[in-house]
Amino acid sequence: MVHEKDDETLRAGFSGEIKHRLGGETITLCYQCGTCAASCPVAKVTEKFNPRGVIKLALLGERQEVLSGSAIWLCSSCYNCQERCPQKVEIADVIYALRNIAIMSGHTPNIYSEFASGLMKEGRIVPISKFVEKKRTDYGLPPLKSAGVEAIKKILSTTGFDKIQWKKEGTP
Amino acid sequence: MNETKVGVFLSDCGNQLSQILDFDALVNHVKQVPGVALVVKASEFWRGEGLKTIVDAIKGKKISRVVVAESLPKLSEIRVVKAAEEAGLNPYLVEVIDLKDHCAWPHRDTPSEATEKAKAMLLAAIERAKLLEPIEKLEFPITKSVLVIGGGIAGMQTAEDLADLGIKTYIVEKSPFLGGLATRAGRFFPTDDCAICIQSPASDVKTITHTSRKCVYRSGFTEIPNLNILTNSRVIAVEGATGNYKVTIEKKPRYVNESKCVGCDLCTTVCPVAVPDEYNAKLKKRKAIYMNVPNVHPPVYVIDENVCKFHDCAKCVEICPTKAVELDQKSERITLNVGSIVVATGFQECDPSIVKEYHYDEYPDVITNLELARMIDGFGPTSGEIIKPSNREPARRIVIIQCVGSRDRRWNPWCSSICCMISLKHAMLIKSAHPEADVTICYIDIRTTGREHEYYYERAREMGIKFVKGRPSEIVHDPETDMLIVDVEDEILRRLLELEADLVVLASAMVPAEGTKDLADMLGIELDQDGFFKEYNAKLRPTETKRRGIFLCGGATFPKDAPTTSLHAHSAAMKATKFLSAGKVVKDQKTAVINEEYCGDCEFCPVTCPYGAISLVPKGEEHFVAEVSDLLCEGCGICVGTCPVNAIELRHARPNQMSAQMKALVSVNGTGKPLILAMCCSECGHTAVDSSGMAMMQYPANVRVMKVPCTGILQVHVFLEAFKAGAQGVMVVGCKSDGCHYEVGSQKAQKKVELAKILLNEYGVEPERLMMHNMVFIEGADFAEAAKTMTERLEKLGSLQLTDVS
Amino acid sequence: MTSYALFLGCTIPARQPHYEASARKALPQLGIELVDLDNMTCCAPPPLQSIDLETSLSIAAYNICLAEEADLNMITLCTGCFESLAMANTMLKQNEKLKARVNQILSSAGKEFKGNKEVKHYLQVLTQDVGLDRLKKSVTKDLSSLKVASFSGCHLLRPSALLKFDDPERPHVFDELIEALGAKSIWYRNKLKCCGGLLRGYADDVALAIAREKIVNTTKAGADCIVTLCPFCFLTLDLGQMLIKSAFHEEYNIPVLHYAELLGLALGIEPKELALDFHKIRLDKLLSEIR
Repeated sequence: MVHEKDDETLRAGFSGEIKHRLGGETITLCYQCGTCAASCPVAKVTEKFNPRGVIKLALLGERQEVLSGSAIWLCSSCYNCQERCPQKVEIADVIYALRNIAIMSGHTPNIYSEFASGLMKEGRIVPISKFVEKKRTDYGLPPLKSAGVEAIKKILSTTGFDKIQWKKEGTP
Repeated sequence: MNETKVGVFLSDCGNQLSQILDFDALVNHVKQVPGVALVVKASEFWRGEGLKTIVDAIKGKKISRVVVAESLPKLSEIRVVKAAEEAGLNPYLVEVIDLKDHCAWPHRDTPSEATEKAKAMLLAAIERAKLLEPIEKLEFPITKSVLVIGGGIAGMQTAEDLADLGIKTYIVEKSPFLGGLATRAGRFFPTDDCAICIQSPASDVKTITHTSRKCVYRSGFTEIPNLNILTNSRVIAVEGATGNYKVTIEKKPRYVNESKCVGCDLCTTVCPVAVPDEYNAKLKKRKAIYMNVPNVHPPVYVIDENVCKFHDCAKCVEICPTKAVELDQKSERITLNVGSIVVATGFQECDPSIVKEYHYDEYPDVITNLELARMIDGFGPTSGEIIKPSNREPARRIVIIQCVGSRDRRWNPWCSSICCMISLKHAMLIKSAHPEADVTICYIDIRTTGREHEYYYERAREMGIKFVKGRPSEIVHDPETDMLIVDVEDEILRRLLELEADLVVLASAMVPAEGTKDLADMLGIELDQDGFFKEYNAKLRPTETKRRGIFLCGGATFPKDAPTTSLHAHSAAMKATKFLSAGKVVKDQKTAVINEEYCGDCEFCPVTCPYGAISLVPKGEEHFVAEVSDLLCEGCGICVGTCPVNAIELRHARPNQMSAQMKALVSVNGTGKPLILAMCCSECGHTAVDSSGMAMMQYPANVRVMKVPCTGILQVHVFLEAFKAGAQGVMVVGCKSDGCHYEVGSQKAQKKVELAKILLNEYGVEPERLMMHNMVFIEGADFAEAAKTMTERLEKLGSLQLTDVS
Repeated sequence: MTSYALFLGCTIPARQPHYEASARKALPQLGIELVDLDNMTCCAPPPLQSIDLETSLSIAAYNICLAEEADLNMITLCTGCFESLAMANTMLKQNEKLKARVNQILSSAGKEFKGNKEVKHYLQVLTQDVGLDRLKKSVTKDLSSLKVASFSGCHLLRPSALLKFDDPERPHVFDELIEALGAKSIWYRNKLKCCGGLLRGYADDVALAIAREKIVNTTKAGADCIVTLCPFCFLTLDLGQMLIKSAFHEEYNIPVLHYAELLGLALGIEPKELALDFHKIRLDKLLSEIR
């Protein structure tokens, strides 16, 4: 478990920290051309998110602002930017890496805690209601197979996922 | 053979060195060495009386070898060697060492140790000198003529210079007309003058003065004596070697006799075949018989053989008043014998269809900068009007997008360097002709780095051209309004814009010309990582290649604007002239030599040689031996380091010479510290030792410097020999791995050192006793530091216990 | 019959039985057998990737292992599942180091990723195994009056380097499959752009604004319906129109169908067999145009 480190000591090394995480490897290739922003469906409707801006902040080492803010959670993972980035920055994956670091640092939006608990309990992130399950026979659908909850639990315990402390911070 | 008599000349550098070194002891030491016939001490030997002493001794036949201890940075080696040669001694029988910068100064804190080291250094020089052999000068005749490949502005200017200097010059252009990209560009920045304007030849012709620029067609270019122009031609084979190339040219038929055509244009009026004109961005049609524009050179029509109906039509033959049309012309093979080749093949604009999100291949109103240039050109297909190609209506909202397929790691990572200026030029030309036009340039960075270029940018802003900092993500065609929409973020406003445009212009990447790879293979020269021709050294030899006599200029090495292309072209002409002017290449035979008894059937040396100097030749049945070209061999010895059977040697660094030198260097210690042999390459490695001494950086005197031509010559057994001779540690000091004077030598040495660490462990040599270092002159401090560290490391390790493996 | 291990995922069985029913009824008619395996779990889509990429890769790999053990290639209906699984499959096949890391994690669950199976979206199965010709011949209903706004969703196409489904800038596979059924696939502005579905639950207002744009653009282009592949896109655009109505006071009522449903209808399967009552936007008018 990584705890929030002193901001100053990490300022210089934030891009390095991102680069060394799965998904974050390409961040320093960014030269701020804005192709991502112009491709982004989210940036089109809200000023709260701009992929270029998120990467710029991260490259400047503004760790606290990036991790505690709402911007990184506003990427819709559509990969439009990633396809078109002329520097082959894997932008959507960089945002995953940033989200992973944010969660490890205790910044977890509510909805993600819910996804995690669904996974840990049922092996699925969307619970299945009794109503829909009963209706299956009406439509001639076979009974649902059970989910491999035990296997999932073992995987989660190996990666430390089940030990993540789900601070309920609410929507930033 | 006469007895070898060594003369030893000891300089105390104006008495400075006597403060540190005990010269009496040195003289006494040297006198006892067998073979030493003369020992002289003076304050300097690189000039004046001192130098005369050496010359007199040689002339008086008192000595047959010379060892001079002088300060190397004073050019002493060059002066002494030249003087010796003039006095009648082969320059390769002179050995110069530096007792100041390599001994007295870096060891000034420990004078008695320095004296002991100086003894070892002198002994090493004497022992090596005794084994040196004379090396002769070789002469290779060369053909005094040049082939210039490419008839764009680079090729034309180089060819003109060469021909003016009296050298027979051929210019080969693959297209039917001269001028290359420039003729399509219309105008050049920053002067906005005609692209086809060239320097006037120096020929003394009534209409030409040396001060003027001239339109190509008025320049008299074709009239320059010694210049032969072959258009519609390409190089298909190159044989031979430096100085004597046999080049085969294929000249495609023009189907119009150049000496008969009067350019009356009657043929095009009757030709029934009309096809889209590629030269003019397909914005108009041209006939099967055509000229690009009226002012092209040569002013002779050409027939497009892919579309002409030939004898099924022959209308042009009938109408031609001078009977110039010859439909039965065949392609010809021409053989040229030239001494030198200049590659001036330029670059080309990339097809931007690869950047799919811009839909160049789908939307007719998305065009490239070069296509826009054709529209702007008054001679062009629209007579200067800016139109939407889809419906030929005037275009008044124009968006120009920079860096299309350039600075793009998906396609071409480099900055094409000239597109910012091209786009600025186009934007301003449009704006001057149509002040009401709305012109926007979308850019990542505006790069206007040339002289006056920033003012050009300034003028563009004054003229009301709009700039959006941001690279568009997509161009969309709205079928309802027939408008193009450019999605872009203005980063400064942090706002997403949807720019509406009639016409979108792509500043498409500039990429290597077609056929670049094939030509490089034919000529045996290298390409860089981006596929452009690679120069020998970007800083010092920007027009030369690794192959002597083959030169580069213009956009063939990287996209260039016209001023830079001119500079490059004139520079290449000068280099080619310098190469050819003597009519021969004079070169010392300090080259590799093969022992055919041991050599055979392996390909290590021909593959490894950075200069292609080694080839395999048959020897008996199914047996091959290596053969060295004395012309191409640069004498680095990388082949020696590669040979598995020691069948190849350098004439100037034979194994016995190196061995004697090595043994002598560690024959005297006198420091109480573990002896270290620093095997330094003669280039950067040796200069790092110079610079540490020049700056009087102190390191212990147990470190002994042995100069080798290149660290690439070293083999594992050489390291073992050093340890056996008494070295406790070995430092290998070469150039930076990407800056080796012999390309790959220090990389090879690095690998050899790694291998030796493993192999020599068997002999009880700990891997820490052998280290590779890469240093340049300015890193003298690193050398001193490394020497100290190695000494400390060896002291910790204790004495080397060599295992007797036998 | 070609058999595939069916990967259902979470959302389809939980919320969209109409998608499952149409696929289970249509695909076997075209010679595709769907095999249900025990112990499959969530595919580890973007919400889980956001929490931990390494865990997500391992979960995806775990599910692929089940198909490897059954010696079957995998078929997905949901585009999100396709992305998670196909991406993991390609990444692990390409990167030995990553594979070793994931296999170390999987060993706790007694699994080993071998990398000898394919993960396919059912559109790939339709083009590769069934073929456009057979598909065209199997159609019994006339869809020719339908103007369809196809919307593949992001994760069918991107990241293209890993999914290798279609040209990410000029996709054609999906539109060809729609036209194979006899309908007309039309162009609309920002066709390839996201529906915003993944932001539901975190930023509903942003998600809805993006969805609205999609609805506006398809309506403007004159589409009779939107055809989707992903349950998230479906939800965002179908239920989304109800939300747009209350938030923006705009009513569009453009029907949204999964491709499997359109396929089922084209093959002549009775609408009541397809559980169409789960749709929020009524399909009556659309169904009346299919004859």
